[in-house]
Amino acid sequence: MEPFELILLDGGMGTQLQAAGLPMGQAPEIWNLTEPDKVTTVHRRYVEAGSRLLYSNTFGVNRLKVSRTGYSVRDLVQGGIRCARAAAGENVRVALDIGPLGQMLEPLGTLRFEEAYDVFREIVVAGRDAGADLIVIETMSDLYEVKAAVLAAKENSALPVWVTMTFEANGRSFVGTTVPAMGLTLTGLGVDAMGFNCSLGPKELLPLIRELRRWTDKPLILKPNAGLPDPATGEYHITADEFAEELIPALQEGVQMLGGCCGTTPDFIRALKKHTDREIVKNPVVWRCFGVCSATQTVGFGGVRVIGERINPTGKKRFQQALRENDIDYIVTRGIEQQDAGADILDVNVGLPGIDEAEIMTRVVKALQAVVDLPLQIDSSDPAVIEAGLRVVNGKAVVNSVNGKAEVLEAILPICKKYGAAVVGLCMDGEGIPQTWRDRVRIAERIVKAATAVGIPKEDVLIDCLTLTVSAQQDQAAETLKALHYVRETLGLHTVLGVSNISFGLPARENITVSFLTQALYAGLDLPIINPNQRAVMDAVASFRLLSGEDRDGEAFIRRFAEIEESTKKPETAGKEMSIQESILRGLKGETAAATIRALETRGEMDVINELLIPALDVVGDRYEKQQIFLPQLINAANAACGGFDVIRERLARSGTQSVSKGKIVLATVYGDIHDIGKNIVRVVLENYGYTVIDLGRDVPVRRIVDTIIREDVKLVGLSALMTTTVASMAETIAAIRRSGHDCRIMVGGAVLTPDYAAEIGADYYAKDAKQSADIARMVLG
Amino acid sequence: MEGRLTGINRKETLQYLGYLGSEIPEQLEQDLTRCEEEVLKTARPRVLWKLFSLEQDGRFAGTAFSPRGHDVQKLLKDCNQVILIAVTLGSETEQLLRRSQIRNMGDAVILDAAASAAVENVCDNLCKDLAERFAPRYLTDRFSPGYGDFPFAQQRELFGVLDITRQIGVSLSESGLMLPQKSVTALIGVADRPQEHRHRGCASCTMFETCRFRKEDTHCGAI
Repeated sequence: MEPFELILLDGGMGTQLQAAGLPMGQAPEIWNLTEPDKVTTVHRRYVEAGSRLLYSNTFGVNRLKVSRTGYSVRDLVQGGIRCARAAAGENVRVALDIGPLGQMLEPLGTLRFEEAYDVFREIVVAGRDAGADLIVIETMSDLYEVKAAVLAAKENSALPVWVTMTFEANGRSFVGTTVPAMGLTLTGLGVDAMGFNCSLGPKELLPLIRELRRWTDKPLILKPNAGLPDPATGEYHITADEFAEELIPALQEGVQMLGGCCGTTPDFIRALKKHTDREIVKNPVVWRCFGVCSATQTVGFGGVRVIGERINPTGKKRFQQALRENDIDYIVTRGIEQQDAGADILDVNVGLPGIDEAEIMTRVVKALQAVVDLPLQIDSSDPAVIEAGLRVVNGKAVVNSVNGKAEVLEAILPICKKYGAAVVGLCMDGEGIPQTWRDRVRIAERIVKAATAVGIPKEDVLIDCLTLTVSAQQDQAAETLKALHYVRETLGLHTVLGVSNISFGLPARENITVSFLTQALYAGLDLPIINPNQRAVMDAVASFRLLSGEDRDGEAFIRRFAEIEESTKKPETAGKEMSIQESILRGLKGETAAATIRALETRGEMDVINELLIPALDVVGDRYEKQQIFLPQLINAANAACGGFDVIRERLARSGTQSVSKGKIVLATVYGDIHDIGKNIVRVVLENYGYTVIDLGRDVPVRRIVDTIIREDVKLVGLSALMTTTVASMAETIAAIRRSGHDCRIMVGGAVLTPDYAAEIGADYYAKDAKQSADIARMVLG
Repeated sequence: MEGRLTGINRKETLQYLGYLGSEIPEQLEQDLTRCEEEVLKTARPRVLWKLFSLEQDGRFAGTAFSPRGHDVQKLLKDCNQVILIAVTLGSETEQLLRRSQIRNMGDAVILDAAASAAVENVCDNLCKDLAERFAPRYLTDRFSPGYGDFPFAQQRELFGVLDITRQIGVSLSESGLMLPQKSVTALIGVADRPQEHRHRGCASCTMFETCRFRKEDTHCGAI
């Protein structure tokens, strides 16, 4: 492709086929096989109008959608490419058109990332084999789905890949993806061009194109609708000439591919050709921002960006226990805390001997993304773990880390390049950590050279000049600061530094940590890796941001300290010490924890659980049954009890004792059902009665439930279904459990169930609410 | 026509919560207010509607869709046109609900109930707007797949006809459930003479499938 050549694309397909007699609501792709001439005729009219590239009529072809039609993905794709090729002739290219799958991906939906990849892979392979010239992924709302599609396209073909997404006028997609996140992520993934299509007209898309231009250096694509349709008539109002006129300014923004979406016709393409023929198309100077992002939040480089260090098992017994016991919630909670405390990026380290680090990394990344908006930093030295994490990250991540060793650079940099991640480079190599700042800088230069050689821009290489413990090597603190200064000022690179290590082994550590942090920031550190839960550390960051001018007019500073003053003014719950029972009844988690600590002064852990925590919960349950309190209060009480259990777990983890559990229970919302709030309520209550809950989530296949029951040898499983349509799936699950021969007891619940119906489908127990499920658990497990 | 969320009916929220009439403690009142505000702040209601003529055989003109069941037939007996609507609070609310289930389950149940009441409010507002727009003609009540004998399975056809996923970002799962969950589809008849507006009644209530009152052979009193 010539660098500044304008490429005219085609316009609407669905509306054209409807004009040719396709009933609304019917899949247009079937016509590729049943009415190929009509499809080709539409394509031909676009070629005659001036289109240089045709999108095949395969937008809705994927196995999730076509399974009901009786046609195969392969045949429909082949038919689609054939129809376009028949109209294309010599000089017009044919793109395999891939649209959204029509089902929502995790975490909002239940379609797994890996499954989405596989569905896209099938389409890509069919299109490649049918001879498509390139792959266009279009009308996408979900950046995660785009990532699955792009990986499928690039890993299964050598064809160029273009992506266009659909945004609302507020600059977000239906699922919250932002324009900067799109630009950063897709540039990193190495797509060949990107832009927007559908949902809005040319005027509304122009500001979005300007924003996208700031975050990518790729050629841009624009395929707007013909304005917005009148709902009563379904007609679009702007004319072909207006459409073309309104698109001219886009050419100045670097748009190189122009076409139309809904409501546009061959006349629109003809008008585009006419209007653009008289324009000089030029690509403006590209000034591109760098940074990392989740799908919804972008952290641009430049200025202080805090990387939270708390998701890391090193030296933390409780965290190690959570990893060994697959307690992903504990880990996710550490992420939430740090987000709330002001972290900008979360470091994720799950390395522990004896666990499957790659598998846990995948699960933790997915679980974190479901709850926090922050970009992630995948922290491991194992290339397989890094790849496992990067693959499922939604957005653009950082990899922590490489160093100057040739074999490390060779193993890890290509992975960072493939997934478009930024990378932390440690200033050390096979010889260890150099003692002088000059030698560290030399390693930094080597790392940057290796990174740019594989195509990672130097803006994405973040240099870590390394902190050494000042109590052991006192003269090294100054060397680190000098190295930092040089790397930032002379090499012009962004810098990362784990700060807390400086004060290891000293009394009053915080003083040293904060002081070193401030000096490092001044020397040029912009991405400190710290514990954001330490208020003094974050205070120092807030102060630095004000002094450096990053925090304009001190707004953030003033807000922070106004809030802190406010919160210290509040009296601590009337100053009276509450009993465990009282604090649970009132739903106060912090007070329950404090009361538990006091109780542990005179009693053993199991004693506190059985004599104080559980009886308090029983009182709550009793009041709930008598309808003196209702659901939210029941849950708040259970949550408060959790504060007490946490104290005990923490203490047992420190003493190396196995955690307390009254038995394991598997919970699942059955296959086909996505309403899982009821199951989640039951889970919270059961956990706070001291049971270990293995929560399989929602829409859980029968097989997975049975396998888990057998593998974990559980004595009780709870199944939930909310809709009449999915109770059948519950019955199947129960039948399969029985067939497996495992003697697990089964309790069921859900809004549409009744005791009679529960018995009819073979359940052992019907639980009408969360309280009753706890009673059943006690009956079965004690 | 914009999606408008103008308020959340507290009584409706309490009904979804399974409120049985005991006195509401002050803390809970505060939680309710806070959660309702959160939903109002988070929701980005989107609506979609389209007008169709009705063919003699009950088919929507230009489509292959015709709703099944006696109840729809009865509803549309005076109508020669029909409006299909789709309404959602958006993925922002879905995310709020999912995240709250991880952060704080006590809030989660209240938020969920408040969001259910909120989507009803958006539907009510849309129906009011449509009634104005189509005056002096008259509109019937709205009727959704799963109400009465209008098959729930026809949801998928409705999605095809309105192109709902593409237009307002609601998707349909394999088993026919909508995501974001706080979404509604329905049809509304357009007639030349006044239409009887029944009670919302159990048969046309969105809680029909799941109502604990109905299960215990009673009703919530709100209808």
